Amino acid sequence: MELTLNHFLFVSGILFAIGLSGVLLRRNLIVIFMCLELMLAAANLTLVAFSRFNLQDGQPDYDGHVLLFFIITVAAAEVAVGLAIIVALFRNRETTDVTKINSMKF
Amino acid sequence: MPVYFLEIIVVALGLVMLMVDAFVKLEDKRSIAWIGMLGLSVVFLLLFQVKGPENTDAAFWQFYSANDTTALFFKGIAVLTTLIVLVMAVDYSPVVVDQTAKPEKGAHPQSGLGEFFALPMFACAGLMWMASANNLVSIFVSLEAVTITFYILVTYLRRNVGSLEAGVKYLILGALSTGFLVYGFAWLFGITGSMDLAEITTALAKPDINTTAALFAFALILMASAFKVGAAPFHLWIPDVYQGAPTPITAFLSVGSKAAGFIVFLRLATPFLASEPIVGKVTMVLTVVAALTLLFGNFSAIPQKNFKRLLAYSSIAHAGFLMMALASAPDKLVEGSKLTPVTVIAFYLGAYLLMTLLAFLVMSTMRKVQVSEEIDSYRGLAKRSPFLAFALLIAMASLAGIPLTAGFWGKVNVFLLAIQQKEWLLVIVGLIGAGAGFYYYLKIAASMYLSPTEKNDDTSAIAISPLSRVTMIALIVAIIAAGFAPGLIFGLMG
Repeated sequence: MELTLNHFLFVSGILFAIGLSGVLLRRNLIVIFMCLELMLAAANLTLVAFSRFNLQDGQPDYDGHVLLFFIITVAAAEVAVGLAIIVALFRNRETTDVTKINSMKF
Repeated sequence: MPVYFLEIIVVALGLVMLMVDAFVKLEDKRSIAWIGMLGLSVVFLLLFQVKGPENTDAAFWQFYSANDTTALFFKGIAVLTTLIVLVMAVDYSPVVVDQTAKPEKGAHPQSGLGEFFALPMFACAGLMWMASANNLVSIFVSLEAVTITFYILVTYLRRNVGSLEAGVKYLILGALSTGFLVYGFAWLFGITGSMDLAEITTALAKPDINTTAALFAFALILMASAFKVGAAPFHLWIPDVYQGAPTPITAFLSVGSKAAGFIVFLRLATPFLASEPIVGKVTMVLTVVAALTLLFGNFSAIPQKNFKRLLAYSSIAHAGFLMMALASAPDKLVEGSKLTPVTVIAFYLGAYLLMTLLAFLVMSTMRKVQVSEEIDSYRGLAKRSPFLAFALLIAMASLAGIPLTAGFWGKVNVFLLAIQQKEWLLVIVGLIGAGAGFYYYLKIAASMYLSPTEKNDDTSAIAISPLSRVTMIALIVAIIAAGFAPGLIFGLMG
């Protein structure tokens, strides 16, 4: 069986769906954060797949790779700031359960 | 001087402020804010001087559009917002010092204050870059530069539970919208084979594009943008984050972040709106989102008792009017007509900047004398400080859209555009929303001027710092001037 673009899109779609459902269903902030990273990974996989299959003069379209590297860098920055915020919250409230972070009226 | 020098200057200013904070012994760290304010004033004046370079062949110009007057206008919004946010931050600094960690022995009593002034500069540079971004890569990077800076700023009061909670909520939902955005970008890249917005527009306009995939990409991008601008049904984070964040940062979020979100959405939606095969469905979705946002924003604002939360719902309502302008995008631009979604949105955001920042300036001045942000605590303000009450009255009148204020013309333009495109549903919903707006904005005015004060109310006069007073007067004058001559703001757009 030959691997086609659709296989990659299918896998990345599943990855995105797992990430999204994790964000919506899980209660632990750290797990939610991991699921968010999974969503970014899904986007990265999609980008690489499209790059690889949109050949230009026999070469992959490297524009997609450029965006991918920026996504990885930005995700790293986001994790650095995000974990710091979660640690600050934990020091103050001693919980990372999102259902207990409800001091403001919704 | 080429346009992109401005962003470089703003980033350099931010770095200088950080260095001064770290290495110069200062009695009072508030003087760091002065570096930023002076620098931004100079940058604002330079905006009228810049000219794009003649030669734009270099690879850099794939990521940055030169010679773009709309972009310059939005850069002006970003610089002005940051400037006024710094003015507020100086007033607000005692709260910041009080609510951040206790300094260790021997440390400066105001340690941690310097970054509070420097970080908005980096957000400002991101906002300015975003106005000129014409490539998916540069849109993504500038948007994230702003968003990540905001994560830090919202959580800045790290001994305050409200600020921490607001920060976590903003972080999770912001990161979620980033996920949607990049997945949408990946699909858009897949369909069109390009990262450049102009090439994407051409590719999407072809009759043989895969409409399902294109609509999927649009849905993802719409969700992400709706998060950023606070449009229904992705507006739920706004009240909590606005309430918890430090007041100057709330103002920054509600003006800077919204303006940035709209310019990005405007740029990203334009290729879809110009695409013959899918434009019908795209407009329909935008209409639904605009109508929902108008209804949710205006009606949820009515029962609010906390002033900051009320302004949060008001910001959702204004996002509704802006979405309405976008949903009434004409199929073909009418030649010679001033009313295009771009000019209408730019005008509205210009007016929104003036009135929202004025309201927040009054609020952050009040915060010095009382902790409460309930609407009841504004009771009898007209007697305590006639000037503050008048400033808030003008801000509320303009937000409600009373004639002869800047906000009135903003709304009129939106309605004219919608009528021109025969979007009757939106016109009706918009009128209902604007009517509700009159009630809740004027409720505050009534509380200030008409409510009798009670026995244990504080009735002492309120001190206003000269800087805030000057800024407030400038904003009041600008609101009324734009109300009498709306051409002034249009003139700035070139």
